[in-house]
Amino acid sequence: MKKAPDILVLDEVSKVYHGQQGMLERLRGGPSSDTRAVSNVSLVIRHGETVGLVGESGCGKSTLARLVSGLIKPTSGSINFRSVALPGHPPRLQMIFQDPFSSLNGRWKIADAIAEPIVVHKLRKGRAAIRARVDELLNLVGLSSADGEKYPQEFSGGQRQRICIARALAGEPEFLILDEPTSALDVSVQAQILNLLRDLQKNLNLTSLFITHNLPVVRIMADRIGVMYLGELVEEAACEELFVNPRHPYTRMLIDAAPNMDVDDRSLHPIMGELPSPASPPQGCRFSSRCPFVKNLCRAEAPPKRRTEKGGMFRCHFEPDLTQMPSIADKKGAAQHA
Amino acid sequence: MSMPLLEVKDLTVTLSRQDRQIMALDNVSFSIKPGEVLGIVGESGAGKSITGAAIINLLVPPLRRTSGIITLAGERLDTLSPRALRSVRGGRIGFVFQDPMTSLNPVITIGRQLIDTIRTHLRLGRDQARRKAIDWLDRVGLPNPDLTLDRYPHQLSGGMRQRVVIALALCADPVLLIADEPTTALDVSVQAHILQLLRDLHRESGTSMLLITHDLGVIAKMADTVAVFYAGRVAEISPVKELFTRPRHPYTEGLIRATPALTAAGEIQLNPIAGAMPGLGALPNGCGFNPRCPKAQDDCRTIVPPLTQQDLSAFACFHPLERSLVQ
Amino acid sequence: MSNVTLPSAAAPRTFRSSFFRAMRNAPGPTFSALVILALALYAVIVPMFAVNPFELSGMSVLDAFTPPFWMADANPDFPLGADDQGRNLLTAMAYGLRTSIIVGMLSVLIGLVVGGTLGLVAGFVGGRIDALIMRFADVQLAYPALLLAMIIDGASRAVLGNERSAGTAITIVVVSIGIAFWVQYARTIRSSVMIERDQDYVSAARITGRSNIGIIFLHILPNVMAPVLVIATINLGIAIITEATLSFLGIGIPITSPSLGTLIRNGNNFLQSGEWWISIWPCLILVFFVVAVNVLGDHLRDIYNPRLRLRS
Repeated sequence: MKKAPDILVLDEVSKVYHGQQGMLERLRGGPSSDTRAVSNVSLVIRHGETVGLVGESGCGKSTLARLVSGLIKPTSGSINFRSVALPGHPPRLQMIFQDPFSSLNGRWKIADAIAEPIVVHKLRKGRAAIRARVDELLNLVGLSSADGEKYPQEFSGGQRQRICIARALAGEPEFLILDEPTSALDVSVQAQILNLLRDLQKNLNLTSLFITHNLPVVRIMADRIGVMYLGELVEEAACEELFVNPRHPYTRMLIDAAPNMDVDDRSLHPIMGELPSPASPPQGCRFSSRCPFVKNLCRAEAPPKRRTEKGGMFRCHFEPDLTQMPSIADKKGAAQHA
Repeated sequence: MSMPLLEVKDLTVTLSRQDRQIMALDNVSFSIKPGEVLGIVGESGAGKSITGAAIINLLVPPLRRTSGIITLAGERLDTLSPRALRSVRGGRIGFVFQDPMTSLNPVITIGRQLIDTIRTHLRLGRDQARRKAIDWLDRVGLPNPDLTLDRYPHQLSGGMRQRVVIALALCADPVLLIADEPTTALDVSVQAHILQLLRDLHRESGTSMLLITHDLGVIAKMADTVAVFYAGRVAEISPVKELFTRPRHPYTEGLIRATPALTAAGEIQLNPIAGAMPGLGALPNGCGFNPRCPKAQDDCRTIVPPLTQQDLSAFACFHPLERSLVQ
Repeated sequence: MSNVTLPSAAAPRTFRSSFFRAMRNAPGPTFSALVILALALYAVIVPMFAVNPFELSGMSVLDAFTPPFWMADANPDFPLGADDQGRNLLTAMAYGLRTSIIVGMLSVLIGLVVGGTLGLVAGFVGGRIDALIMRFADVQLAYPALLLAMIIDGASRAVLGNERSAGTAITIVVVSIGIAFWVQYARTIRSSVMIERDQDYVSAARITGRSNIGIIFLHILPNVMAPVLVIATINLGIAIITEATLSFLGIGIPITSPSLGTLIRNGNNFLQSGEWWISIWPCLILVFFVVAVNVLGDHLRDIYNPRLRLRS
C-alpha cells in the first residue's frame, strides 16, 4: 500500500496560557498560574485520513483544534501544512464548531453565509455561478435551495449544523477541523449529522481532525485516534486497535467509564479520583494521581513515548496488563485520592 | 403489587405565550413504587425537566400546571399550600439539578447550607445537625468532611460540588429523590463516580428515585423502569430490560438505534430518525411522532394514541413493534 | 428549565420587524413616538411659513408681553402669547425646538462616531490600545458631562474670544456635548465587540481568510449596532437637556438665537413679574419631548436586552 502524503505535521506543539493574576495576588507574590493547555503534542495526519482526538474537559483537545486552525499561535513547537493540490501553499482550511447557534451570523442569509468562502477564495466567478454552487451545497447537506433565502433563526440546531457543513465544504477545504460537531445535538439528530459527515468523507476524500469527548462517536468517524489527558497526547493508535487493545491505562478506563446500553451488565466503572485542574497537573506522569498501576517512578518522572508494533504510540513507564484492571469498588478509597 | 410512592396522573403543563397557550406537558401519567428508580428519558424539549419541576411546583412562569393529580405516599401534593409544599421540597422530596454550581449558594459555606437544610426539616440541635452534616459529607465520599464544612462551593471541583448537592438533597432523609440530569455537566470519568454514589445511597436508604436524563447509557445502568418522553407526552413506559430488548414504541427503537454504541465492533451502522422533534406549539395532529415514524398510518395522523398496557410495557402507539432488538 | 425550547420567531431579527411588532404591543411607547413625531413636524413645518421671531422683522415691541389666548388682552395672532420683545411664542418655540433637535442629533452623531470608532478599535484590537482608550474614558467619566461641556466651551472662548457668531456657538455646543458622551458609546460597543469577536461565526470567517476589516464591517458591526442605537435614542433626550442647561446658564447658544434653553432663560427673567408663559411653554415642550424620547429609548432597550426578552 502506498503511503499517502502527510498533510499536517505537528511537532512538539505546546500552548501556555499565562494566568491573569489579580493585583492582590501579585502583591502577595503568589506563584504565577501558567497553564500548559497543550503540552508537547506531536501528530501526523495523512491525506484522506480522519484523525480523532478524544479526552475530557481541560485535556486541551479544543485548544489543539484552534492551534491547527491558526486561530491561536503555539507557544513552542511547529505546525506544518503541506498542500497536496498546490505544493508549496498552505492548504485551504475549514472548521465546524460545536455550537450551531453561535457559528452562524444571525444577520446573514444562509445563502450569503455559504457563499462567503466561495467569494473570499474566488472559487466561482459571477453571481449566478456562486448561487448555483450554493444550491448544490444546500442539496448536498439535505436542505433545499429555498432555505438559502432564510435566516439562521429559522432553523433547528441540526439544520444549522448542516448549514455549517455546507459552508465549510463551500471553501473546498483540503483539511477540515471538526470541534465537537454533534455534542450540542440530540441523539436522533446527531446520528443524521454523523451519517452525513461519513458520506462526505467517503465521497470527497476529506482529510480531517475530528474532536470529541464521545468515544462511540469517534469510533464511527475516525481512522486513527489520539487520546489526550491534561494537555498531553497519552496514546495514539488505529481506531479498532485503540478500542480492542488499548495500551495506556487511561484509555482503557475511559472506554469503560462511559455507561453503555448493556442492561445485563449494570456495573459502573468510575476512574478513581477527580480530574486534576489543568493549571496544576501532577508531577511526573500526569495520570499518576488516578492510575491503578502507579509506582514511585511515575510520580517522579514524565513517562517516555513508546512505539507499539502496530505503529501506535503511548506514554507510560510500564506496559501494564490492562486486562487485569484493579477494581475500585470501594468508593471511599477512590474519593480519598482526589 | 405494592402501592405506588409517587403517582402522577394526567399532569398537564401549559406555556403562556402572548395570545396562546402551548402544551408543554400533555396528560402525563406515571408512578414510582417504593425503592424504585424510574428513569425519564427523552431529547431536549420532550418535557422531562418540566415534569420534575411540576411535581413539586417549581415551575416558573410562563409555565403553569393546569391540571393533574400528584400523590406522594397517599397525600395530594397538587392541592398543598405553598407553605406546606416548601417543607416537602428538600424534606420528603430531595432535588439534584444538572448544574451543581447554580444549586449551591456561592457565598455561604457548604456546612451552613447543609446544617440549615437539616435543621429546617429535621428539628435537630445545632451540634446534632453539624454531626449529621459531617456524616453526610463522609457518606457522599468527600475527603476530610470536617474541613470541607467550612469551604465555599467555588473551592471544590465540579464532581465534588455535585456530591455536596447530593448530600443536600438526601440529608433530610427524603422518601423520593428527583435527579434532573445529575451527571450531564460532568466529565465521563466523574460521571461514573456520581452514578455509583447515587446507586449506593439509593440502595442503603431505600429512597425512590426519579432520574431524568437524555443519556440511554445512564438509563441502562441506573433505572428499574423507564418512561420515554416525546414532545411533552409519554411514548412508552417499560421495565428497563424490556425497553432495550423489546421496545414497543417506534420512537424508543429509533432512539436506541440512533445512539452510537461502543459494544458493537467493526463497521457500525447508525440509524438516525429522520427529521427533528417538533417545537413546543408545533405539534402535528394525532401522534406527535407521526411525521418521523416509519410505521405511521392514517389513524396516527388524526388521533392521539392513548397509553395502553400490554405485557410488561405501556405504550402510546396504534402500531407497536413486535420484534426484539439484538443487544 | 433547560428543556424548554421556545419557538423562535419566524421573522428574521431585523431592526424594522421587531420595532413594529413591539409597537403593537406597547401603547405607551407608541404614544411617545406619536408625540415625538408631532413635535418634530411642528419644529419643521412652522419655520417654513412663519418669520423667524429672532430676526428684527419677527419682533414687534408693541405686542410685547401679550398673554396666551384665554387671558384678557390676548391677541389672536399670538395664541400662546408673546415675550418681552414681542416675539410670537408659538413660532419662537418651533424655531427653538428645531435648534434643540438639530443640536441634539448632531451631538449624538459626534458621540456615536467618536465613541463608536474608539470602542470598536478597543474591543477588536484589545491589549495595550484597549487599555489606553479605556483608561482615558475612565478619566473622562470622573467629570460630569455638563462640567466637561462647560470646560470645552470655556476653552473655545479662550481661543476664539467672547464675540462669536451664532453658528460658531452652536458648533461648539454640538462638539462639547458630543465629546461629553462618547464614553458611553465606546464602552457599549467595546463590550459587544468583545463578545462578538469570540463567536464561532467570526472564527469561521477568520479561518476562511477574511481580513480584519471585512470581519469588522461585514460581521461584527451589524451585530453590535442595536444596543448602540438604543443608547443613542436615550442620549438624544440627555443631549437636548444638556443643550438647554448650557443655554440657560448662558454658555451655550447665545440668547439672540432661538433654542428651548434660551427661551426658558429669557422667560425666567419675567417669572416673578407674572409673565409666566414666556418660560413655561418652552419648559413644557422640553419636558414632553424628552420624556417621550426616554420612554421610547427605554422600550427599545427592553426589546434589545435579550435577558429581558426571554422573560416576556
